[in-house]
Amino acid sequence: MPLNPPSPAAGLTISSEDFLKFKEYFYRRTGISFDSSKRYFVDKRLIERIEATGNASFRSYFTMLRFQASGEELQYLTNLMTVNETYFLREDYQFKCLVDSILPEVVEQKKKGDSLKIWCIPSSSGEEPYSVAMFLLEHWPGINDWDVEIISSDIDTKILAAARAGRYSARSVQHVPARWLTKYFRKIGEEYQLSSDLRDAVEFTRVNLAESADTRPYRNFDVIFCRNLLIYFDDVSRKMAAETFYEALRPGGFVCLGHSESMSRISSLYKVRKFPDAIVYQKSLEAR
Amino acid sequence: MAFVKQKAVRFDGEDRRERSRDCVDLASELEDANPTSRRWAARDLIDCPNAARALVSRLKREEEVPVREVILTTLIRLDDASALGGLVECLRSEDAALRNEVIEAMKLLPGEVAPIMQSLLADLDPDVRIFAVNILESLRHADVESWLIQVIEKDPEVNVCAAAVDLLSEVASAKALQPLVRLKSRFSEEPYIQFAAELALQRIRGV
Repeated sequence: MPLNPPSPAAGLTISSEDFLKFKEYFYRRTGISFDSSKRYFVDKRLIERIEATGNASFRSYFTMLRFQASGEELQYLTNLMTVNETYFLREDYQFKCLVDSILPEVVEQKKKGDSLKIWCIPSSSGEEPYSVAMFLLEHWPGINDWDVEIISSDIDTKILAAARAGRYSARSVQHVPARWLTKYFRKIGEEYQLSSDLRDAVEFTRVNLAESADTRPYRNFDVIFCRNLLIYFDDVSRKMAAETFYEALRPGGFVCLGHSESMSRISSLYKVRKFPDAIVYQKSLEAR
Repeated sequence: MAFVKQKAVRFDGEDRRERSRDCVDLASELEDANPTSRRWAARDLIDCPNAARALVSRLKREEEVPVREVILTTLIRLDDASALGGLVECLRSEDAALRNEVIEAMKLLPGEVAPIMQSLLADLDPDVRIFAVNILESLRHADVESWLIQVIEKDPEVNVCAAAVDLLSEVASAKALQPLVRLKSRFSEEPYIQFAAELALQRIRGV
């Protein structure tokens, strides 16, 4: 959304009532919940958007946000409010678990000609799905026998564009082995450009996990990575996410969460699987 | 073999489902033989006012845990008096698994459960009063300690008081000191109450 000239809202503050009103609305629309410790973070971004859209007050901005037919401002604000901090091979013990423990079980249920489907959500700037692709190429002999489909989704459209572009800082690739760096990246100035082969390996899509209409087409996945997202959700949104993943998985499919997250505290839909490298969660093979 | 993209799968969010999502049809789909259809019906009923009755009716008979879980999530999200009333009805079920699932669901509704907590704690059925104490275990509400103190001061049933004193030993402040002493006198012949109340007293006093 374009910026408007001189701010009529200089000196603006967000009252506690405004914060609560916004918090409830944003939660309903995105499933993302802000507690009072995030007040400064939220207020700062709200004021930035009130000023940028030329509104004179929170009230008029909120009305615009709620009733704008295109939903453009809500998407813009969502992009601002979401955190996109990640790097290549983060929590890579789960990728080891994927190739050593999960995929051998998954392919046992497959027949010749089937493909494997992996869903990474949130995509953020693409480090996770591309790490999965690299890890499969480097450490999973099955890549020679099976087609693999990697889909990666995020609510933030700007970050999806960055993911598709595949250009990363030195910090982002700091844990990538030197051989992989040479093989899959090209250094351009201070940045690293991911090869087009790998960029083509991942399909990026925009998804709001809190919207049934968005998630409904996502079916028959073998593995879902959803790491360090549910920590931003409240209890009910976490349950909804667990149920969404349940519908998105094939019977026997797996969910991998972040190291500080536990499905057992969220839902009883999954069986806990303790593999040598990681604890993951499995939809029953008998599930209907 | 390689990485592939299935272009046939469309991710545009457009609704292409074969069955009607009309509220009346969704309610009847809750009775479908296929559990996946029942789960989706339960999920989509979130957009239907007055869906709680049909959901609770199905919940009481539903044998598939995943379907029950989705029904409970929708009842939580419906956030209306009828949904809450349905959950309370299920607390009286003979099905222990269902009761436990409902207790977990009600813990997620602090704002809605608070106004009815007094009546739950005064229920004629001591089991329901114990379940109410179980709900308090992780209900995020400022009055939890006051409700528990009320239980140990007034409830005539030893098992209800035992449940409350267990929880008080985790959450109590100095406010609970005298009520705990009085609880010990009221049930002076009950070894478990003596033990649990003493433990709570020691924790409050920092012994």
